[in-house]
Amino acid sequence: MAIANESHQEEHNMQEHHGAGRYVVIWVVLLVLTLVTVFTGRMHLPDFGLLLALVIASVKGTLVALYFMHLSEHRGANRLVFGVSIVFVVLLIGFTLMDFGTRFRLANPPGSQYSDLQAVDIGANKAEGRQGGHLDEKQKKETHE
Amino acid sequence: MSSAHVTPGSVPGPKLAAHFASLEVQKHAARLGMWLFLATEILLFAGLFACYAAYRFLFPEAWAACSRELDLTMGTINTVVLITSSFTAAMAVHYAKEGKNKMVGHMFVLTLLMAVAFLVIKYFEYKHKFHIGTLPGRYYFYEGIQLPGAPLYFTVYFASTALHGLHVIIGMTVLMFSTVRAYRVGDFSANNYTMVELGSMYWHLVDLVWIFLFPMLYLV
Repeated sequence: MAIANESHQEEHNMQEHHGAGRYVVIWVVLLVLTLVTVFTGRMHLPDFGLLLALVIASVKGTLVALYFMHLSEHRGANRLVFGVSIVFVVLLIGFTLMDFGTRFRLANPPGSQYSDLQAVDIGANKAEGRQGGHLDEKQKKETHE
Repeated sequence: MSSAHVTPGSVPGPKLAAHFASLEVQKHAARLGMWLFLATEILLFAGLFACYAAYRFLFPEAWAACSRELDLTMGTINTVVLITSSFTAAMAVHYAKEGKNKMVGHMFVLTLLMAVAFLVIKYFEYKHKFHIGTLPGRYYFYEGIQLPGAPLYFTVYFASTALHGLHVIIGMTVLMFSTVRAYRVGDFSANNYTMVELGSMYWHLVDLVWIFLFPMLYLV
């Protein structure tokens, strides 16, 4: 029975007792990576800042999943479930971005980077910005006069 | 857990349910159930991450300006606190396998204290935002940033951190049960630590989500 063998192997892996040292090492690495990501984040790198931050976060996340959550010792379906969930996260975000990236420009909300309509075009000046087209008291008076 | 039969004379430990071939298979199944549940949790947060990606794509300037408006010091302290709490939760599993129930309790108490610290820091961050008006949607009244998309950033910020905060509270409740059991009953051992292990896995998920939320919200 394959599933019983898997369970046996997983049980064996989990029983094999390694010292607390491994957790301490992972903890220290996580703290160092946090400092690295704060440091690189504060540099405000123009294009790849978010990408770099996400790469560092993925490394941290992998360490947490593999060692704190014992994924490295788990077998079979238990590993598959986690992997598949990550694949679906990538699909969800990837296809959303592909949709937004290939849209007809006018389909994007006014004021966004990929729209021809900016705040001024919809009747808002810089100071009113997001209020979009509302006139302040002074302007109202002017139009009434 | 129901309809259990224990072979007489065996060491006290978890009961083997009749429909499992062995204790090994039962533990394997318990972990599979936990991973399935955690997968649904990951996909729950993925919905918010997709919102984030879509609006970051449309409003990169507002995203950059608003993320700089957040308190990076508080955010960094919170990250360190949560990572350390994850470490103590992992240590609890380590001690549970050795049967050191007192230490399991101590480790979870430390985890819970750090969880409270996390929520207190989060409270001060929220309070500041309510004060200056960096709020979602039409409740936004902050003069400092008047860019299209800025209220959307704070919609995403509040939705994701509030959902994460809710998970912190749920995780604390789960760990509290294990803590009480470790102190009162004290029957965790190499043979019986599934409760500690799965509770701690939930806590690591809370940490995992924050590891991604932190750079996304504070460092773009």
